[in-house]
Amino acid sequence: MFLQPSKKLFYSSAVLIVLAITAVVIYPSDPIDYNTEVKPILNKKCITCHGGVKQEGGFSLLFEEEAFAPTKSGKPAIIKYKPEESELIRRLHLTDPEERMPYKHDPLSKEEIKILTTWIKEGAKWGSHWAYQKVKEPDVPSIDDDWVNNNIDKYILEKLETEKLSPSKEADKATLLRRVSLDLTGLPANKKIAAKYLNDNSDKAYENLVNDLMASPAYGEKWAALWLDLARYADTKGFEADRSRNIYKYRDWLIDAFNKDKPYNDFLIEQIAGDLLPNPTDANYIATAFHRNTMNNDEGGTDNEEYRTAAVLDRVNTTWSAVMGTSFNCVQCHSHPYDPFKHDEYYKFMAFFNNTRDEDSPFENPVLRQYQGADNVKFESLKKWLAKNADPAAANYWTTFIRTLQPSINAFQCDKFVDGANGWYATLRNNGTCNLKDVVLTGKSELLFKYASSVDKGMWRIYLDSLNGKLIKEVPIKNTGGGFVHERTSLPSIQGKHTLYFKYYSPKIKNNTDNGILFEWFSFGNPFPGKEKPGFDSAYKYFNDLLMAGAETTPIMMEANQDLSRTTHVFERGSWLSKGKEVTPDVPGILPSLPKNAPKNRMGLAMWLTSTNNPLVARTLVNRLWEQLFGSGIVETLEDLGTQGLSPTHQTLLDYLAWQHMHTHNWSIKKTLKEIVLSATYKQQSIFTKELLKKDPYNKLYARGPRVRLSAEQIRDQTLAVSSLLSPKMYGKSVMPYQPDGIWRSPYNGDTWKLSEGEDQYRRSLYTYFKRTAPYPSMITFDGGAREVCVIRRIRTNTPLQALTSLNDSSYIIMARSFAKSMENVKGPIEAKIKTGYEQMMYKPISANKLNALTSLYQSSLSKYQSNKKAANILVSDSTLASPTNRAALVVVANAMLNLDEWLNKN
Amino acid sequence: MTQKELHNQRLVKEAQKAVMQQHTRRHFIKESAMGFGALALGSLLGGCNTSSSANLFDATNPLAPKAPPFLGKAKSVIYLHMAGAPSQLEMFSYKPELAKLDGLDCPPSLLNGKKFAFIRGVPKMLGPQASFKQYGESGIWLSENLPHLSTVIDDVAVLQAVTTDQFNHAPAQLLMHTGTPRLGRPSMGSWVTYGLGSENKNLPGFVVLTSGGNNPDAGKSVWGSGFLPSVYQGVQCRSEGDPVLFIKDPAGMDRDIRKASIDAINKVNEESYTEYQDPETLSRISQYELAYKMQISVPGVMDISTEPDYIHEMYGTRPGESCFANNVLLARKLVEKGVRFVQLFDWGWDTHGDSAGNAVDIGLKNKCRKIDRPITALLQDLKQRGLLDETLVVWGSEFGRTPMQENREGKTMPFKGRDHHGEAFSMWMAGGGIKGGTTYGETDEIGYNIVNGKVETFDIQATILNQLGFDHEKFTYESQGRNFRLTDLSGKVIHDIIA
Repeated sequence: MFLQPSKKLFYSSAVLIVLAITAVVIYPSDPIDYNTEVKPILNKKCITCHGGVKQEGGFSLLFEEEAFAPTKSGKPAIIKYKPEESELIRRLHLTDPEERMPYKHDPLSKEEIKILTTWIKEGAKWGSHWAYQKVKEPDVPSIDDDWVNNNIDKYILEKLETEKLSPSKEADKATLLRRVSLDLTGLPANKKIAAKYLNDNSDKAYENLVNDLMASPAYGEKWAALWLDLARYADTKGFEADRSRNIYKYRDWLIDAFNKDKPYNDFLIEQIAGDLLPNPTDANYIATAFHRNTMNNDEGGTDNEEYRTAAVLDRVNTTWSAVMGTSFNCVQCHSHPYDPFKHDEYYKFMAFFNNTRDEDSPFENPVLRQYQGADNVKFESLKKWLAKNADPAAANYWTTFIRTLQPSINAFQCDKFVDGANGWYATLRNNGTCNLKDVVLTGKSELLFKYASSVDKGMWRIYLDSLNGKLIKEVPIKNTGGGFVHERTSLPSIQGKHTLYFKYYSPKIKNNTDNGILFEWFSFGNPFPGKEKPGFDSAYKYFNDLLMAGAETTPIMMEANQDLSRTTHVFERGSWLSKGKEVTPDVPGILPSLPKNAPKNRMGLAMWLTSTNNPLVARTLVNRLWEQLFGSGIVETLEDLGTQGLSPTHQTLLDYLAWQHMHTHNWSIKKTLKEIVLSATYKQQSIFTKELLKKDPYNKLYARGPRVRLSAEQIRDQTLAVSSLLSPKMYGKSVMPYQPDGIWRSPYNGDTWKLSEGEDQYRRSLYTYFKRTAPYPSMITFDGGAREVCVIRRIRTNTPLQALTSLNDSSYIIMARSFAKSMENVKGPIEAKIKTGYEQMMYKPISANKLNALTSLYQSSLSKYQSNKKAANILVSDSTLASPTNRAALVVVANAMLNLDEWLNKN
Repeated sequence: MTQKELHNQRLVKEAQKAVMQQHTRRHFIKESAMGFGALALGSLLGGCNTSSSANLFDATNPLAPKAPPFLGKAKSVIYLHMAGAPSQLEMFSYKPELAKLDGLDCPPSLLNGKKFAFIRGVPKMLGPQASFKQYGESGIWLSENLPHLSTVIDDVAVLQAVTTDQFNHAPAQLLMHTGTPRLGRPSMGSWVTYGLGSENKNLPGFVVLTSGGNNPDAGKSVWGSGFLPSVYQGVQCRSEGDPVLFIKDPAGMDRDIRKASIDAINKVNEESYTEYQDPETLSRISQYELAYKMQISVPGVMDISTEPDYIHEMYGTRPGESCFANNVLLARKLVEKGVRFVQLFDWGWDTHGDSAGNAVDIGLKNKCRKIDRPITALLQDLKQRGLLDETLVVWGSEFGRTPMQENREGKTMPFKGRDHHGEAFSMWMAGGGIKGGTTYGETDEIGYNIVNGKVETFDIQATILNQLGFDHEKFTYESQGRNFRLTDLSGKVIHDIIA
């Protein structure tokens, strides 16, 4: 596009440039700041054509080295200190639409041109986006004001003062009680905690309340629910049949982690790389299920490698968006169009995740096996025996094996079937053959495998490198009656990596279409150790018993050993089928490099994430905590702190909180939350004055407290709580509370929604069974995500379907019935009953007008039900009642109260 | 003035009116203090990226009718998806040469380098299991399985060479409806409701109806809203239980009590508004009013039993049952009431030959019988109501089926069936500015590969959006730092089938 300009054009533009430059000279000011002044113009006006994907005229403004490099014309477009010689500036001034930039768009404003010109004149200093710079020790504004409770308020007040706004006064006790209880625990405070606070008139009353709430087990449940969105947690695998997945122990791990206030750095290390910790505990393994919440596709004929790859890409994207507030997805196909991430850096990062043993297996391998009862006794005794009688490497190998069945190779990796097929298993018919690629045989003397066969006198032959190759083993195959068993066979000593060819034969197979053998997995290794040691027989028996024992299984991450490791390649244009150059694990160049002692695997990655040098991790966390409390993040786009995200409202405050979190609070989430909820900013009343509506309708300046609609979980849970139905039971398999019929209709899947019994119907929402293709209706209606991928931020909507749910959903009617019953037990006239009910909800007295509205609803309903006792009976559904009419009218009132705006909001 | 000109004039008027209304509403919101707050808070609550200038999301009234960027011919869409993939070779694709190959081994040239869902080794060719004839003035070939459709074929444009690169149901359905084989993107109906809003504020803008006993393989994601606000997701109307979830008053609570209770709720909420001045409270008051209106109007719209007998005769409907015919009639009623996008999924077309019900010569014929009459009635009925011009009807599936007989695991199947086939299959469109009596695209003698007129899933989407007044390349939404569009990076409008 860089055409030779005409002379006339050149002169006229030269005049303009002189004018522009003169203007700058005449009005000197502070140096131009690249990040806040230049980058926004480049991003908005230039980078679409001169950036990552498109580099028109050979000019790109994405990376510093590109911006100053020669363009197609042979000259750089920016000459430092010399705007008059810079093609970039010249092009902004032209009038010929073919030449003037931005091409085919409106010209830049005078102000914008002035900024760019001055910037070049001052030497075109490049800058890195604030979010990619290390968090520095903050300089807290020195502000002295009675309103200030802690440092947070100084940042807020500083900005309010420049905007000539004053903060709101502190909310009343009742409002604060409800707000902080819902924020910290997702529930209204229980009667004991509430009463203690309301009766405590000391200065410490509120802080004590915060301590009490944080100590309650409900705290962990609330914050786990948030993390479940980020972890895209579900109880099913997704896609067609959307079969069940047993991964609830990960949810329980989260609850415990939050309740114990596991420092955020450890919290991340365990989830990213718990399996790579020395001697990982069960909990360490379960933490890694974070990245096993990716979807599986079990549908017939799907390419397991395709869906394995999709899962790995999802882990990369989730790590970036959930933990680092950066949208990394675009880099999958090309260099980031706006942020300084290069295409191959995506794949270097992917290489951290590309070496785990999961392969879209329908069995979810690898899983942690936790044995129960007598089996666990055997496991513990086996573990002890191995520790005592085998060398440490062998003891570790076999202990790990019985916990995870790794290392092993899924049989569906077999290929080249003739008279056989692979699906969930590798199946061979009579004389059927297949192969298994890339098996490392060096130092392997025994093959342990799992199979099933319904045929007598089978024979499995293993050939080396081809079907005509050396027959290395003949394995007689027993009829197992169709059930799966484990079997072993010794292997001859062979060096190197080989493709093995398998052939199955039995003289007993009459029908050519009958299956001979089904393989599930193979494990190439060595015999169980310690044959000569005392107790071997029983240890070996225990081992074999445990292989067949039922166990509680949780999908986990496990790194492949050397034999099974994969290489990672760049995918050209993001397609996994077009593999480009090979890459090894590394982090993007714009960010700090891996810590010196960090291994190049997931553990190294976890160390990098949790280093105080990482500029994104702590900022992303504190921004998210802020969003949970205030309804909007300091950077509103939680998913993107980069240059395309919205600018922070209080960047210095975000950095202060990030610094505090890492350095003062030592990554303690509880301490960080406590600092925020103790601020005067948080405690303000949330009344919208006319002035605030005009000057700050978005509440970006925090001159008032937060008032936003509660989450799907909070709405259901608080309603269960106030109607005295909420079960305090924690942990365990997900439950199925009432749901209308016909929601679940997945093909090829006989699973049904089976209403849970007893208190399990009334558990907190995070325990509700989550089916990806058919999530619980009220969760979705109130803006919960389907968790197919990481849900970074729920977008709140306000729809009539929400009203229909909380008005008519049978579960809400059950709650209204129970709430009505408790109101009925209050002595006195109807007004007293409603008044007490309202106080239970809101902790404060009801206003006269509100009481009138609800009392008249009671009276009109009552007169209706007096003439229709049958309807009253149906509504109250309580056969113990002599007369249902009063109760029925109260159910109507309770139902209305549980739909009030102030109930659905934080206050 | 011709019928068409009249129609166009009406559309212009409507578009202008919508723009006016939109302007007036915005104007009102901007001027009134409380409205200003509502708008402002709306975008705070909506949390949508305010830097995207083309963002059409307004949290205070997300379903307000909006004018498309240019004048489309269609106002609404009825999309009939046969989940499981019907065999084109027994319905639309006449392949006499294939009959001659029946029972012969499939030549290796068709198998080399191909991957099938279930075919293993060398399968046998399977001739067409239905006879074909030409119909209408257009002389379009149709099988005996579609006797009714043959009478209206001159209103239909048949696409004979549709192709997809996905051969499993769930990913292929996602590709067709969301533009990607993976989960997480908005469905076509969500895009359309986001872009056009809904004309009937008492009904959802995007309604989904399913039949055949199962949801489609990809589950609710094929009508999910992906990264668009959840208000644009399809609302599944059900043929059993409540037609829309929770639309019925609780047992024992009658309409008057419900009305009184909503009045009381709103009265208390007005008090809260006085207290907090939160504009979102006003929005909640109106949503509760709307919910009540929906409670009144939805059951009536969803009740097909009130239709006259001749309509039931025409469609073959059986009120009270759960069947495709009922859903088709319902689709017509919904479109008539201003619903923007009606999506039907009929399950049970996966004719692998593993059972009689899944045989191309038995089960498929029964499935055809269940859809042929109602679909034909739909086209006739829309036409007689003057709605066909402005209603785009799309029929299709996620892929087609192989000219080879399926041999699952290399074994002979008990019945005649065909495996999944993405390379070439048939779909059709009618109404909404589509040129009737056309065929577009051609496959080879056995219907295996495309010869010309290839249509990708993105082209279908581009064409549907075009008929509604959208340039599919410009209709974007920003998410995670990128502008997304339904057709991803591909798609071209199929101009040859547009009138």
